[in-house]
Amino acid sequence: MRANRDYMDLALLAVDRARKSGADVAEAYISDAESVQISVSNRQVEQVNAVREAGIGLRLLKDQKMVSGSTNELSREAMRSLVADLMRKVPFHTADEYHLITGKESPALERPWSTYADAVTYDPRIAEIPVQEKIRLALRMEEAGLGFSPKVSGSMMVVYQDSTSFLYLANSNGIAGWFPTAGCGGGAEMAAADGSDHQSGSHFKAVALYADFDAQEVGRLAAEKAVKMLGAKPIASCEIPMVIAPEVGTEIFAFLAGMLSADEVQKGRSLFAGKLESQVAAGSFTLVDDGRRKGGLATAPVDGEGVPQQTTPLIVNGVLKGYLYDNYAAKKGKTRSTGNRSRGSYGSSGSIGPTNLYLQPGAAKPEEIFAGIKRGFYLTQAIGIFAGINTASGDFSIPAAGFLIEQGKISKPVRGISIGGNLFALLKSVDAIGADLTWFQSLGCPTFSVAGVTIGGVAS
Amino acid sequence: MSEGERISRREFLGAGSVGLGSLALSPVLLEMLLAGTGCSARGDRALADFMVPEEVLKKAVGLLMERRASFADVFVERAIVDLVESDDRKINTSTRIEKGVGLRAVKDGKTFYAYTNSFDPEQIYSTARYVADAAAQGAGGPEGKVFNLVPQDSKLAFPITPRPSEVAVEKKIQMFKMLTDRAWSADPRVVQVGQFMRETIRQVNIATSSEKAVNQTLCLTEFMASTHVKDKEGSLQNGFDMRGAYAGRDFFTGENSFETIVDTSVGRAKRLLEAVDSPRGVFPVVLAAGENGVLFHESCGHGMEADLVFKGSNYKDQIGMQTASKGVTLIDDGTLRFMPGSYAFDDEGTPPERTVLIEDGIQKSYLCDLIWGGKLGMKSTGSGRRESFKYPPIPRMRNTFIDKGALSKEEIIGATKRGIYVTAVGGGGQVDVITGNFMMGVGEAFLIEDGKITRPVKGATLSGMGIQAMKSIDMIGNDLQIFPSAGRCGKMQSAPVGFGMPTIRVRGILVGGNGEAWEDKEGGAR
Repeated sequence: MRANRDYMDLALLAVDRARKSGADVAEAYISDAESVQISVSNRQVEQVNAVREAGIGLRLLKDQKMVSGSTNELSREAMRSLVADLMRKVPFHTADEYHLITGKESPALERPWSTYADAVTYDPRIAEIPVQEKIRLALRMEEAGLGFSPKVSGSMMVVYQDSTSFLYLANSNGIAGWFPTAGCGGGAEMAAADGSDHQSGSHFKAVALYADFDAQEVGRLAAEKAVKMLGAKPIASCEIPMVIAPEVGTEIFAFLAGMLSADEVQKGRSLFAGKLESQVAAGSFTLVDDGRRKGGLATAPVDGEGVPQQTTPLIVNGVLKGYLYDNYAAKKGKTRSTGNRSRGSYGSSGSIGPTNLYLQPGAAKPEEIFAGIKRGFYLTQAIGIFAGINTASGDFSIPAAGFLIEQGKISKPVRGISIGGNLFALLKSVDAIGADLTWFQSLGCPTFSVAGVTIGGVAS
Repeated sequence: MSEGERISRREFLGAGSVGLGSLALSPVLLEMLLAGTGCSARGDRALADFMVPEEVLKKAVGLLMERRASFADVFVERAIVDLVESDDRKINTSTRIEKGVGLRAVKDGKTFYAYTNSFDPEQIYSTARYVADAAAQGAGGPEGKVFNLVPQDSKLAFPITPRPSEVAVEKKIQMFKMLTDRAWSADPRVVQVGQFMRETIRQVNIATSSEKAVNQTLCLTEFMASTHVKDKEGSLQNGFDMRGAYAGRDFFTGENSFETIVDTSVGRAKRLLEAVDSPRGVFPVVLAAGENGVLFHESCGHGMEADLVFKGSNYKDQIGMQTASKGVTLIDDGTLRFMPGSYAFDDEGTPPERTVLIEDGIQKSYLCDLIWGGKLGMKSTGSGRRESFKYPPIPRMRNTFIDKGALSKEEIIGATKRGIYVTAVGGGGQVDVITGNFMMGVGEAFLIEDGKITRPVKGATLSGMGIQAMKSIDMIGNDLQIFPSAGRCGKMQSAPVGFGMPTIRVRGILVGGNGEAWEDKEGGAR
């Protein structure tokens, strides 16, 4: 896949058109993406979906009113019609002095992207490798799972997926540039059976370099998780210490990131409001958003509105140090954007989101964390976590699966319980953090433990 | 994976700024989409009214089939999404216009798929050739069969009034100003208000190698209200409500009015401030009629989708077996007027039906599309759906509900010594179809003590194991309600779905919460 000069020209043309139609400031964002999705089942290809897609998103600012729109029709005619529609609507919007389109003070896109190689994780091979080879990779992923143990009874989903995008950004403040980005990965959900007992295990991994994607490991880990869960039973309601597996930890951090968005804080929807410089977590807890992490899946020279990505410490040694900002929230909060305007596609004008977010690892080996616990719960699977955490109060009750910890060791598998507590209290009760920082897509977490959690289970 | 119901509060709020933007409905495009159809699927419309000419569709189907595929279809779509959003007292709109042609060839049970954003015949043909080549994998020469197309007729219509184009942008914004003020002035403890309305118009043409041609336009209107309240002690809570329907704004009256939705979101948030932590453990749960049908969408609906059944879900090989208590009848219906899971044709051209999945406790059917149904040796139930031209269809639920029983709501609550009464879903749900382990978040619930509804509770979740939970239903009410939900089901692709149920009591569900550990007082959870 290559850069297309026409798209840069089209972005500039759209900006120019908007200015001529009366916009004070205009921004155009074009993404040109090529992606492949392959699912396999029963050692055969199930579906191959190969896609090339481009589209444009426009944001126009007039009299402090912002309007946005998008289309995947990239003709000059369509551009004119979209600009005209947006200009017709903008007068009715609410004026807001905090709207801001990035200016020249953010020089990240002035030079060719290759000069920012440290801030770009682009592997051209991802798009170059033939689909047939990717199909073989997906089949190997499933095979590694099916062959893991005679107890593996089948696969529910095995998918290989990749995407390569060229992103073009132009605005009437003089920003015009482009950069490529790519990622690949896969996921497997395997079933294991023993008599009438059926258990599931899943594993996902996405990386920036094709060579780093170990498909067989994904299949094998999914199968291993399913087999280890065989014989799982609920336990009685109780309150015990809990060790959290990195995978579940990252799911929790995804929520935390939402609550640390300056927009949520400013709008009164986050209990982190007014807590800057105060202790919000245990002393060992340091959470960092690193938009420039070498090889990170979310690493890019600029965010979705052209502000350079950066490294932002959010919680340092348990003390709240900052929030995630985009231009709007930064202007409102009288500070600078942290480069966290996240834009999923041209069809979205974006909102604040994390880049590469991780909990800084500690010194303990995971087995040392377990060793200190007489009776506890090892959380390896949270079911429907998005519906189980109240983002306003931080209260959570999450159906969960995992293992009982007895005499310092992982023992019997557990399913059919729920864990309850409050996220803010949980952060303060973190008592050990492992050295095993593990990345799942753009979120990273080591094994860590908390002093106690409320388990809802069967009658004792 | 685990199919997830992505209707969390965050996602809904996010949908404003993130996902489906909106449209200054380009009058020309809109008129074209709605011209003379009243948003219906009409078989009597000439093929000349299709977005792509008949001969192009025929040739594309021919090209897809040329390398001896067993089935092929061409899916042409044009969609406009118009969003009005109020957040932090500011009202904005956004617009999204998309079009594309999806091309599918199926050979030996394998699906090959690609799409193009262009309606240009040459682009469509070259994409079709690419798909046919991929499917042939080197084998098979040209076949050269000529395909005809027969327009399909449907009696189902989804008229919308008023049409979105008939309401000026300034009118919509004015309405949102009123609704926003209504929420802010409802209580001094209100600290934030978010609302949005999303109007999605999709025109779809389908041409298949079984020589069917379909032209259908659907207009989905969704409205969501979210209210945050904070008390003097600093406790923060969020209340939420929503509706969605294949209808214009005239549908949103009475209990579905925007005002009611806003008031409900405020009321729920306020009650949460006074709520006690939910008890935890396995004890009777009474689910109120209506939107709680999400529970059954998760606990059993997904496991009955043909692709997941074929691959070994917990409902595999269960036809004719008892999978729920006697008296439980589970239906998935794509023909209900206004409801968000309805349509005149599914996304592969099959008319929808009312599918009885469980009848009086016995498993009767699964939800099938053409391909996965075929693999199970079953006919399509008209359940092949896709989010857009960007995806091939897969078996999906439509409007899923438990049919009514004989008891009154009062009898069910009165017979419950100690338990909880769940009145609203919160954040959606999820299921792992291998084990049947499902969950549903709770937005609003109350304690039942000695047969009476008492205090509100907060922070509850429900979870359980599919068939076991379905067999623990011991009371079914006579008050069936089907809820016009704005919920989107997120099984790899997003799809609007409806839910319903009468008041029902379940004995074998785990309630998660931060309160006391409870047991089943009536003796032995089922």
